[in-house]
Parts: sequence; C-alpha cells; structure tokens
Amino acid sequence: MDIVLKQVPKYWKSIVGSLIAVTLMVVSTLWQPKLLQDVINAIMRNNQDQMLALGVQLIVIAVIGLIAGVINTILAARVAQSIGADTREMVYRKIEDFSFENIEKFQAGNLVVRLTNDINQVQNLVMTILQSLIRVPFLFIGSFILAIVTIPQLWWIIVVMVIVVGLVSAIAMGKMGKHFEKLQNLIDRLNQIAKENLAGVRVVKSFNQEENQKAKFNVVSDEFNQENISVGMIFSIIIPAFSMIGYAALVLAIYLAGNIAQNNPEIVGAVASFTNYLIQVVFALVMAGMMMTFSARALVSLRRLHEVLDTKRTLVYKDVPEQNLTGTVEFQDVSFSYAGDDHPTLKDISFQIKAGEMIGIVGATGSGKSTLAQLIPRLYDPQKGAVRVGGVNLRDVNEKSLRKTVSFVLQRAILFSGTIADNLRHGKEDATQAEMQRAAGIAQATEFVDRLPNQYQAPVEERSSNFSGGQKQRLSIARGVIGKPPILIMDDSTSALDANSEKLVQKALHQDLKGTTTLIIAEKISSVIHADRIFVMDQGRLVGVGSHQELLKTSAIYHEIYETQRGREE
Amino acid sequence: MSEFKRTTKFFYDYMKEYRLGFLVTTVALLASTYFQVKAPVFLGNSITELAKYVSDTEKNQNQFWQALWLLLIFYILYSVGSFIASAAVTLISGYSTNNMRRGLFGKLQRLTIQYFDSHKDGDILSRFTSDLDNISNALNQSLIDILTNVFMMVGIIIMMFRVNVTLAWVTMASSPIALILAAYLIRQTRHYVNLQQAEVGNLNGYINEQISGQKIVITNGLQKKSIKNFIPINERVRQATTRGQIYSGMLMPVMNGISLVNTAIVIFFGGWLAMNGGMERATALGLVVIFVQYSQQFYQPIINIASLYSMFQLAVTGAHRLTEIFDEKEEDTVPDGSVMEKIKNEIQLSNVRFSYNTNTEILHGVNISVEKGHMVALVGPTGSGKTTIMNLLNRFYDVDSGSITIDGKDLRKFNLKSLRDHVGIVLQDSVLFDGTIRDNIVFGNPEATDDQVIAAAKQANIHDFIESLPDGYLTHVSDENSIFSTGQKQLVSIARTILTNPELLILDEATSNVDTVTEAKIQKAMDNVIQGRTSFVIAHRLKTILNADKIVVLRNGNVIEEGNHAELLQQNGFYAELYRSQFVFGE
Repeated sequence: MDIVLKQVPKYWKSIVGSLIAVTLMVVSTLWQPKLLQDVINAIMRNNQDQMLALGVQLIVIAVIGLIAGVINTILAARVAQSIGADTREMVYRKIEDFSFENIEKFQAGNLVVRLTNDINQVQNLVMTILQSLIRVPFLFIGSFILAIVTIPQLWWIIVVMVIVVGLVSAIAMGKMGKHFEKLQNLIDRLNQIAKENLAGVRVVKSFNQEENQKAKFNVVSDEFNQENISVGMIFSIIIPAFSMIGYAALVLAIYLAGNIAQNNPEIVGAVASFTNYLIQVVFALVMAGMMMTFSARALVSLRRLHEVLDTKRTLVYKDVPEQNLTGTVEFQDVSFSYAGDDHPTLKDISFQIKAGEMIGIVGATGSGKSTLAQLIPRLYDPQKGAVRVGGVNLRDVNEKSLRKTVSFVLQRAILFSGTIADNLRHGKEDATQAEMQRAAGIAQATEFVDRLPNQYQAPVEERSSNFSGGQKQRLSIARGVIGKPPILIMDDSTSALDANSEKLVQKALHQDLKGTTTLIIAEKISSVIHADRIFVMDQGRLVGVGSHQELLKTSAIYHEIYETQRGREE
Repeated sequence: MSEFKRTTKFFYDYMKEYRLGFLVTTVALLASTYFQVKAPVFLGNSITELAKYVSDTEKNQNQFWQALWLLLIFYILYSVGSFIASAAVTLISGYSTNNMRRGLFGKLQRLTIQYFDSHKDGDILSRFTSDLDNISNALNQSLIDILTNVFMMVGIIIMMFRVNVTLAWVTMASSPIALILAAYLIRQTRHYVNLQQAEVGNLNGYINEQISGQKIVITNGLQKKSIKNFIPINERVRQATTRGQIYSGMLMPVMNGISLVNTAIVIFFGGWLAMNGGMERATALGLVVIFVQYSQQFYQPIINIASLYSMFQLAVTGAHRLTEIFDEKEEDTVPDGSVMEKIKNEIQLSNVRFSYNTNTEILHGVNISVEKGHMVALVGPTGSGKTTIMNLLNRFYDVDSGSITIDGKDLRKFNLKSLRDHVGIVLQDSVLFDGTIRDNIVFGNPEATDDQVIAAAKQANIHDFIESLPDGYLTHVSDENSIFSTGQKQLVSIARTILTNPELLILDEATSNVDTVTEAKIQKAMDNVIQGRTSFVIAHRLKTILNADKIVVLRNGNVIEEGNHAELLQQNGFYAELYRSQFVFGE
C-alpha cells in the first residue's frame, strides 16, 4: 500500500478536492430527510412562504449533490490514473535497472503482466477508494452515532452486530483466499494447455491426440468449475447472511425496546429512526465487505509490484570513471552454473585473447559455448574465477565503458518496432547515414534495404513480422557492427543466412573491422575455419585451442565434428 | 443470421438444459423481492403493536410478540430466497461456462490447420480467457441484479399508481431525462474506452517488446533510451484512461444526483399538493412520506441496470467472438474412409498444384514418386515449397488439383485418423508439452512401456542426457523452461515419433538446430528407423541426405532436378553448387 501512499502528497490538491466533493454528496444526501421533516412541519402549520423557501433549498442542495458527484468522479479518475501511470513508470524504471539475471528470474512475460494487469488493479482500487469507499466510514460513523444518540440503552446491539459481521467476513475471507489461490493456479493451467495446443497443433493432429488433449483439458476445466462454484456459494451465503444478521439485530432491538418502554414510554417514537440507522450501519458494513473482497485482488497486485520494486539488482556496477578498454579478453579459472542448476555449465576455463584476434568457438549443443559468450558482456557473473576485458576485471568495470567495448549479436535476432534506422542506432546512438550504410554493407543487408521504398526509414513492425529470418539476422549484425566495437561476439548469428552470404559477411568483417576482436560461435566448421584460433568446448570445458590444422591433429573431438561435416571427395 | 439472433441462440443453446434452474431462480427472486417490498409493512405493524403494548402490557404482549415473529419470518424468507436464487445462478453460470470452455477447446481440436495458420494464437487464447471471463461475470452478477431490479421496478410502479396517480406521474416524470442521459453517457463511455484500449494496447506492445528484448537493451546499454521512449507513451495512456474513467465513472454519481433532485421535486410537489390539492391534510402528509420512499427506490433499479450495461455488453461481444469460432469449418475426418494399412508399392504425387490463398500458387504441378522403403530428400531454397509438400502428405492441407496417392489410392479416401496413425512427423519447430519428459515421449503412444520409452530415447540419442537430470524421465518440462536446448528439444520430438512406429516418416529440417556431432548420431539412429520405412526428409544440411535414394530439388514450386547424389553432382546444376558451398573440403 505504501506504493500508493507515497504518491499522495503529489496529488494532494485533487485528493482533498475529491474528499470535499464526497463530503458534500454525503451531506446533501443526509440533509434531505431533515428538510423533509421541515416540509412536513410547514404543511402542518400551513405556511406557504416557508414551503416555497424549503422547496428552493431542497432543489439547490440536490443540485449541489449532483455537481459534487460529477466533480468527485473527475478528480478521482485523475488521481487514480496519475498514480497508476506514475507507479508504472516507477516499476518500469526499476525493471530497466535490472540485470539480465533478475529479468530471467521473474521471466519477461510475468513482468509484462505486472506492468499491465497489476497496475490496472491498483488504478481501480484508487478510483474505488476515492469514489465510493470513502463514503463508507462517513455513513458508518454517522449512522452509528445517530443510532446511539437515539436510544442509548441499546448501544451494545450495534456493537455485537458489528463484531458478528466482522467475524463472519473474516471467516469467509479466509476461506475465499484459499480458493482464490487455487483458482489462479487453475487458470494458469487452463491457459497453458490451450496455449501449448495452439503452438503444437500440428503435433497433436499428426499424433491423433485430439481426444487425449480434450480429456486433459476437461479435467482441469471441471476442477476450475468446482472451485468457481465453491467461491460463488460462499458469496451466495455471505450476502444474505449479512442482511440476516442486521435484521435479527433489528427484531431484537424492537423486542428490547418493548421492555425499556415499560419505564420510558417516550422511546416508542425513537424506535423507527433507530431501526433506520441500524439498517444504514448494516448497509455500510455490507458495502465495506464488498469493497474488501474487491480490494483483496488489488492488494495481491500491490504485493506483486512490491516484489519487483524490492528486488535487489544483481551484478552491481562499481562507480568508477569511464575509460577506453582495449579488445583483449581473458578468462581466469572461470566456473559458472545457472541459478538452481547443480551441474556447472562452465568448468575451470582459462584463456587469453589478444586484441584484434578472430576466435571461433565450436562444440556440441549444451557444451557451454553460448554461456561462455554471455559472460563477456557481463550478462552473468561467474561463481569462480575472473573475466577481464581490456585487462579490467568485469566486477570492477564501468558499465558504459563495457557496453561501448563489447557488442553482442544474438542467435535469435530481435528487432524493435520503429524504423530500420532506429534499430541500427541502438548500436550507436548518433550513427550517420554513411555509418549505417557501412554497417549494412558488412552485414550484406544493403541489397534488400535499398530495395525498400523508404530504405533506412522503412518501418519495422511489431515482432519484425515484415522481415524474413535472414533479413532480421542481417539487420541484427549491422546493429552489432555499427559502433565499430573493439570486441564483437556473434552467437551463431548467421544461421539463417545462406552459405554464400555468410562468406561475404565474414569477408567484410575481416576487411572492415580489422582491429576488432571477433568471437564467432558456430555449428559449422566452415564458419570458423579461417579464425586465428578455434576453441573447442565439450561439457563445459575448453578441451582444445588451435588453428584448424592443429586441432585436426590434436583434438579428437574437433576431428569428430569435422568428420561429420566433411564433404565427400568424389 | 443477424448478430443479435446468433447471440441469443448461443446463450439459449447453452442455457436450455438449465431450464429448471432458471425456474428456481425466478421463483426465488420473485419471492425474495416480494418479501423485501412487503417487509416494511410488517415493520410498521410491529411498531404499531409496540405502541399498543406499551399502553397496555398485559393485553397486547402476545400480539406484539406475534408481530415480531412475523417480521423475523419475513426477513428469514427474504434471506433464504435470495440465497437460493444466488446459489442457483452460481451453479447455472458455472456449469454453462464450463460447457462453453470445454466446447471451445473441443472445437479447436476439430478445426483445420488453415484456421490456426491464419489466426493469431493470442487472439484465440483471449477467447478462452477474457471472453469466457466476461460471459461468466455477466451471468454471475448481472443476471440476478437485472432480474431483481426489473421485478423491483415493476412492483414499485404498480404500488405507486395504486396509491396516487398524480404523484406517480410526478415521480416518473424525470425518468426519460435520466434514461437519455444514461444512454448518452454509455455511448460516450464506449467511445472513450475504445480510445483508451487503443492507447493501452500501444503501451502493452511497447512494454512487451522492450522487456522480451531486454538482452539487446542491456548489451547495448539502451536502458535510459528505453525509459525515455516509455514516458510519452505512458503519458498518452494516462490521458486516455483518465478520460475513459471519467465517463465510465460518471454514470453512478449522475444517476444518484438525479435521484436526489427527483426526490426534492417529489417533496416539493407533494407539499404543494398537500396544501392546495383539496385533500385531507393527514392523508396528504402520509402520501408525501410514502412517495419519498418510492422516489428513492424507483431510481435504484435504473442506476443498477445502467451500471450493469457495460458488463452485459462485454458478455454479448464475448458470445459473438465464441460463435465465430463455433461457426468455423471443421476438418473432414473421412469417417467412412478406408483404413490405411501397410504401404505396398509406392507413394505418388502427380501434377500437384497448391496455394494457401487463391492468388499465389505455391506448387505448380509437382510430380514425385517414392517406392516403398525408399528415402526421398527434398532440397531447395526457402519458399521453394518443401514444407508445403509435408503439409499435404499429412493432410494438414489438401491439394488444389492433381493428387497424392498411396498404392494408387487417393489420400483423401482414407480415414483421417488411420492415415495420421501411419504417418510420423518431426517438425521444424519442436514443441514440448507441459508434463514430464516421459509424458512428452509417450505423447503419441500413451500405452508405451518404460522399456520402449528408453529404447526410443536411446535411438534419438537423448537417453544419456535425460538420465543425467536429477529426476530422469520424470523431470518436469514445458515449452518455455529451458532444461533442453533447441537441439535437445528436437531429439525428444524425434524419440516421440520413433515410439509411434510410423509407416511413412516425414522429417522437416529436423536436424537443422542440432549441432553436427549430435546430428551425426541422430543420423545413425535415423538410418535404422528409416530402414524399411518410406520417408521424406527436408533439410538444409545436405549431409543428412547424402544417403537418400532420391534427391528432389525444388525451386519456386517446381521440381528442377531429380536423382541421387552422384547423379546430381554430375549434372553440375543447382544442387552441385549448393553442395560445394556447404562443406569443408580437405585443406
């Protein structure tokens, strides 16, 4: 809740304004019965003039109530949406500050849900508080006091009633909480099954598994239905139960009033208004209960947002001055395992790469090639050993310097919506047209970019759906090389290119990025055959280093890989 | 059929089996509304009795207690009535939405592949989530409320006219204004909420893209820029949602305010009537008090129904979106088709033409024949039509003209289930289902024994890896978590296919994401599996198809070369060039 409270001072004027408006609304609602009383008196006294004055008053006050309601809504909406937007920004800033490990722990999809749905819940909560919830205590306290003033002897009935209602709702809430949690899990499960059946529709059909999938889905769906009904039943009981408690108290009050009246006959006149106030108290309680169940969801959302805001960023960068790093890379006894994984993915890896060297990395799937590469831009920190770039341990490096030095081209090319130029400038903020053309040239993207109607200003749609896999990879490579980084890592990033284009890219890299240290991770030996040195990975270990020719002689594993890719001599 | 009719029919179809439930609900609601409207009378009676009781305790005690008992009974009946109605509706809405959900999923399983290829997953999914949710919410909440409020309103109108016709008209005079205002507000709300949804969609798109691409954002140091771009989008959402909320939140206070004004008018007019209406003063006074009550009660149902309108609207839209799916064409399962048995001689594609949409033909008269037990490799650049041929062999799509025959019999003549039982596929993108690794391997053959599972995994070269996991074959996996690399996922999907022992095997670039060492191992295993089986293999890696009995080179939907490896090299055409560019030759 303090996420919301923290922002109250910023909008205090609107909040106070909406509170005043609510008060006016309540006052005008409560004033009307009093005026009604006066009207009745005026009729009794046959006072035409007073009657007219009261009529004007009645209408003026009603109109004030109407206007106050409108103003309240406007202010409440403003505050709710502003607090929502501010919270969203706050959380977004926090996420942008996260390390990659933080993001993976939350999972990207989950963070998106928190930024959208959960924020939405919070907005609704604030809106409800300012628009209606605030009325409840007014109504409750007002009628409570008036009731006790009316028949002081019966104060305890109201107190007992409030306690009973409180107890019943506490029990119901407790039960509900369990069901809600189960419901949430079942919803996730239903979505999961539906989702994987959509993604795997060809698998399901080709294996004739339609009936089994249906059965699987129906079991969960039925369970979900049962939970849903349980929750519905609790609601079906609790709402009549609340009013029943109120009515029972009312009957009891009249009964007791009968006894009290034996000594104080004047109490009879007060019974009618007492019961009226009593009903108002019940009404306020029911309203509060409904708001509570409603806000329960919002409170869960708030907790989920807190979780994000309270997360400590892993991989903190030291506050050291920026410096220019050279293109050397050094691993010293590096071991690394992913969180929650017992097997280390990298084991005792040591090597040194000179600036400007071209290194190929090969190895079987799961041998740790990509993990090794991800340590260089410090997406993760190793548990043991040190990674150095330009001679500086990454634990002591300035973040900006590291980003300027290392450029990483991923296997899965991700582009952002915008224009091609926008995407290339992600690699170098102030890139000129000439620089973009040079980068596109290296990535063999010039040909297709030039054919587009707006060339570098051509739009990239969401999920870059207007480009083929090969085109995306080319643009992603162009983004990687545009800043002339001292170190370039290509993680199997030419896999969607045909053999010829791949060769051209490599040639261009060789010529245009002479001083750049290049690490190429590849499945195909032909991609790395011209590297200065080739690293061979196997089960998390670096098992061979050397040129293609050397490795053929010294590394059995390399030889095996080579054999599988060797052309048949005809 | 008009949209309204279709929606009505949709709800009717799902509701008709709950006729009894509806009857119970209606009776219970009518009763509880009656008790609710009538209870004040008994409250009044008991207060009257109380007054008598005070004046003469001995004589009136019993009557006083009797009145109290009656009042209590009325309250109990009211509570029981509303409980029964609410419980009945909970059951009806629960079971009917459950049926909708099950029906929707069942329908999805019968739709054609074309439907899935031409619709976004997210859009279909949202029918399971938000649309069904909207329907269930509306059934749960608005059904009871609308019925109760309609009953209340009718009851109050009847009572008002019974008591005093003039005052009844006065009380109702402002309702047209209220209705027009409500309609206006609802229209405005819809307009602004649409605008709001558009901006929110924009924001969600941005957030999704940025956070999913966070690796790029981090490695390029783009965090500040990402925030900078976020701020104006967020600001636009703030403005749009504020406007949307103002309009949608306005309905209640405006209606409340009108009710307040209306009551003021009733008091005023009632007072004037009392003094100038030539009525007895006491009677007129009583009328004023009663009509103040009615004026307040009369507006309550209008307010409630108005505020439920948007919820109701969402449910109608949801129903419409569900009927859209239910009206879709289903796959023809050829229930009376012949049962496929072993392939005796050959599979033949003759003059096959095919297009996904009518304008662009993908295959322009393709002829391929495969002898029983032979392996055919399809080679060619992206877009040449290789994957399309696979889609046709499993009847994911049907040919436009020409035919595909097994031993001379058209594919479309076979019972679909029996055809697919004999055709095994390993897809380009492997999919894992939520469950254990074992579940995933036995996917197509749930009765498989542990020995069979292990044998299949061994053949697919994934057994050792699975055994190295702490829970072995019982390790929980899903498509999203990353126990398996892309390559390993494909190995699991190969094991899955092996276990179904198919007659015809189709491998669509099945090895393109596996490193070459593992690929070689699979190759070996596959050689065994392929032995004796007729198979189509589509791959980028020529290595996997060097041993094919026949290589078919496709380009732009035509077969341009055909023959075995040696023959094609000799032709020195497209295939030969491809081959040379892909391999390392002894240096």
